[in-house]
Amino acid sequence: MDKKQIKPALVTIGPVTVIMVLLIALPLIYVAVMSFCSIDEYYNVTFDFTLENYMRLFNADYLKIYAQSLGIAFITTVLCILIGYPFSYIIARTKSRRKKVLYMLVIIPFWTNSLIRIYGWRTFLGNSGWLNGILTALGIVSEPVDFLYKSGTTIVGMVYCLIPFMILPLYTAIEKLDDSLLEASQDLGAKPVNTFFEVILPLTMSGIFSGSLMVFIPCLGYFFVSDILGGGNTDMIGNLIERQFQSGNNWPLGAALSIILIIVTLLLVKVYQKMGGDMDALGV
Amino acid sequence: MTLAGCGSKTGSTETGSSINVFIWTEYVSDAAIEAFEEESGIKVNVSTYSSNEDLMAKLKSETEGTYDVILPSDYAVEYLISQDKLMELDKDKLTNLSNISSAYLDPSYDPGNVYSVPYEGGVACIAVNTSKVDMEITSYDDLFNPSLEGQIVVLDDYRAVIGMTERSMGLSMNESDADKLAEVEEKLLTLKDNIKLYDSDSPKSALISGDCSVGMIWSAEVALSMEENPDIEIVYPKEGAYVFMDNWAIPTGSTHYDEAMEFINFMLSAEAAQMNVSDFPYLCPNEAGLELMGEEYVANTAKNVPSEVIENGEFISNLDTDTMAIYDEMWTKLKE
Amino acid sequence: MKRKRRIKRNKILGVGFCALVYLFLFLPISVIVANSFNATTTKPYMSWKGFTLDWYVKLWENTSLLEAFGTTMIIAVVSTLLATVIGTLGAIGMYKYKFKGKGLIDGLLYIPVVIPEIVLGISLLTIFSKAGIPRGMITLILAHVTFCIPFVIFNVRARLAGYDISIEEASMDLGANRLTTFFEITLPVLMPGIMGGALLAFTLSIDDVIISYFVNGQTKTYPLKIMESVKSGVAPDVNALSTLILIGTILFVVLTQGDLFKKSSKESGKEETKYEKKKHGKKVFVGNAFSNTVYDARRMWFEDWQYGNR
Repeated sequence: MDKKQIKPALVTIGPVTVIMVLLIALPLIYVAVMSFCSIDEYYNVTFDFTLENYMRLFNADYLKIYAQSLGIAFITTVLCILIGYPFSYIIARTKSRRKKVLYMLVIIPFWTNSLIRIYGWRTFLGNSGWLNGILTALGIVSEPVDFLYKSGTTIVGMVYCLIPFMILPLYTAIEKLDDSLLEASQDLGAKPVNTFFEVILPLTMSGIFSGSLMVFIPCLGYFFVSDILGGGNTDMIGNLIERQFQSGNNWPLGAALSIILIIVTLLLVKVYQKMGGDMDALGV
Repeated sequence: MTLAGCGSKTGSTETGSSINVFIWTEYVSDAAIEAFEEESGIKVNVSTYSSNEDLMAKLKSETEGTYDVILPSDYAVEYLISQDKLMELDKDKLTNLSNISSAYLDPSYDPGNVYSVPYEGGVACIAVNTSKVDMEITSYDDLFNPSLEGQIVVLDDYRAVIGMTERSMGLSMNESDADKLAEVEEKLLTLKDNIKLYDSDSPKSALISGDCSVGMIWSAEVALSMEENPDIEIVYPKEGAYVFMDNWAIPTGSTHYDEAMEFINFMLSAEAAQMNVSDFPYLCPNEAGLELMGEEYVANTAKNVPSEVIENGEFISNLDTDTMAIYDEMWTKLKE
Repeated sequence: MKRKRRIKRNKILGVGFCALVYLFLFLPISVIVANSFNATTTKPYMSWKGFTLDWYVKLWENTSLLEAFGTTMIIAVVSTLLATVIGTLGAIGMYKYKFKGKGLIDGLLYIPVVIPEIVLGISLLTIFSKAGIPRGMITLILAHVTFCIPFVIFNVRARLAGYDISIEEASMDLGANRLTTFFEITLPVLMPGIMGGALLAFTLSIDDVIISYFVNGQTKTYPLKIMESVKSGVAPDVNALSTLILIGTILFVVLTQGDLFKKSSKESGKEETKYEKKKHGKKVFVGNAFSNTVYDARRMWFEDWQYGNR
């Protein structure tokens, strides 16, 4: 580096480096170190090396919770694709001038605090909630139906919180589609189904992939959704971490859980990267 | 905004100092706190927690001096004393301590009330919505009945739920024998299908709204839900209930000791006790406050928990880390 | 004929489907708005007891809620300013200079975007606790600045991608000093990216629950206050405040985006010449920036990151 450049380089890169090192790198290293620490009889962290935290986390029960978390995240992602894809397709292919408005309408609900929106679902789905009120008034049911506090309710909440992350990248990918390609496919006599699977879907796959990653990963950590709508019955990895840092009072165990979550995240990102690479080869 | 807020309240008083009070959710009357602010000119910043474990975790992770007054339960007081986390209370300043019934003074977890003074207490008991539940429920053990599938709200508190299971098996809530705990776990997991909701903060809500028809919850929550829904009844489990007593204390490092003492002394007054008990009808050790509440309150067995229930019940005590790990594992399995 | 009928049927199905999705998206919002007019006074404030405007009056007496809202605003403004300045400088520096460890910083920037927020929350909690920094306003601002910076950098970086560094050299050759060049040449070009990043940082900051939950100490932000009230039943005054905020944001969008509704999105953005940009004035780019909300922008960074790794 040129001597004259050192000062401006320091001024520009210095602050961001300090923050990233002190508040991202250092804390994560500390969490990694802590995950190998023990606790004394008063639950204080002591720096005695142990593998016990990880051993505890690799028994069948914890594995079941990871599997359940991944399962819920997976179902959430699939539902987001199934709902989000046709929806984004229709919105993005609209010729209407209101396209931008339709797009904004997806975003506007998300400017209201997420917790209170989740709570809105609770008010709606509860035993004396609106939905049951409507159903009983219409005579469809005589007794209120239990909608709340099931793993299904957690999934509804997750889909609700995360679906914009799916819709928006899909919208962008679909909007980029070239009309002439679709027409060419039709002119060549392809059925709509074939056009979809052989032209549209491959061209919009990148949107599906980035949407999926953006739905899947946060889903693993949104502990408040399963708390509020799942009634505490469907713990996710996020709930386990939260518990160890709050009431469970076992920070090293929580740290080990966080490290596992980081590893899962990085693996998913790697998979995504791999798929992104494939997309490259396909010429997208 | 902040300045305007307290400026109007402090009025004539000198400094406008403030204290940070860390208490249970749904436990101390807003009216009582406002009355204290008015009388003393001290602003009270309230934060809340949902379990003793939350409190202990926060006290550990926050720097000293973050909180000036806390409200730990019996076993948490014992733990905090062992950790040198509490300051001694200057009895000369607690002129209202004489309001507290001697039956609740000098407890085993803090002999001589050196560090803490009792606030309110109660039991974890059972609430039953009789219009929805056919079976007769008289014990913790009845909650394990498969016919109650998906109907119960329990406290989101592992000592309470595991302790209840232990009581139902005739064991202590503080059992530490690994073999016995294996049996406890087996029974505990049979409760899984019956539990619909875990909620420590406002379990009455689910009972009132009809989302749950049975609850294993704090006694005052039952009392409050009975006011909203007359079909709800309170059941004191025949095995003997989980008993608790919550206490005012000052954590070490508090920089507002005098103001904190003033606050605690105010809370021990008969008027404050009356306000608190009116809003949160737990067992009230404050005799002067009880007198103000009148006959009706004293006669209400859901609010003024009968003394034999307390005598039959059991306090929780601290567990060693190995036993805690077993409890934690059980809880994880139950909630997965 | 048959085909036409089928197309028509498909169209109706499509519109119906979209309507259902919008219903899903707006359902809880309508519950919130409706409940702000609910005359119920007993917890958990769920059943309908008639129409009232009382809660909009009572809201102004709920000082702790208003204080929390004020706190959130202060934190959001301060951390947005800091994150925008630090992030913009960082993006420019990383674009202009090659240095050791650049890859590392780049990698660190992706962490807050990719890992679940709870991990960032607990790691900041442990380090603050270890360093003995009392939790409160300061730690909240530090945390918010930390997770906002990458979002600013990626936004500015997208703008830098089309930036020809030689105009800076030309400016210096003509005798302008470094600062003048920065303010006269670099900054105006990057402005849309910077504004986009700043608005995004602001949006992220005011809605953050998970990270704030771990580092707040005694300080209550508005989302944390809501979290507390969710436990015991959200009082309708909280709904009233949420409704007011919602109306405020919608008004803001309509005012700033008004003329954008008339154009398709493709026309705006990079193709505009400098002259056109001047003509449209601030209105356009604030509007543009605003549509770059968190979701939009996150997608951008994922793509950015993907290309970066290729």
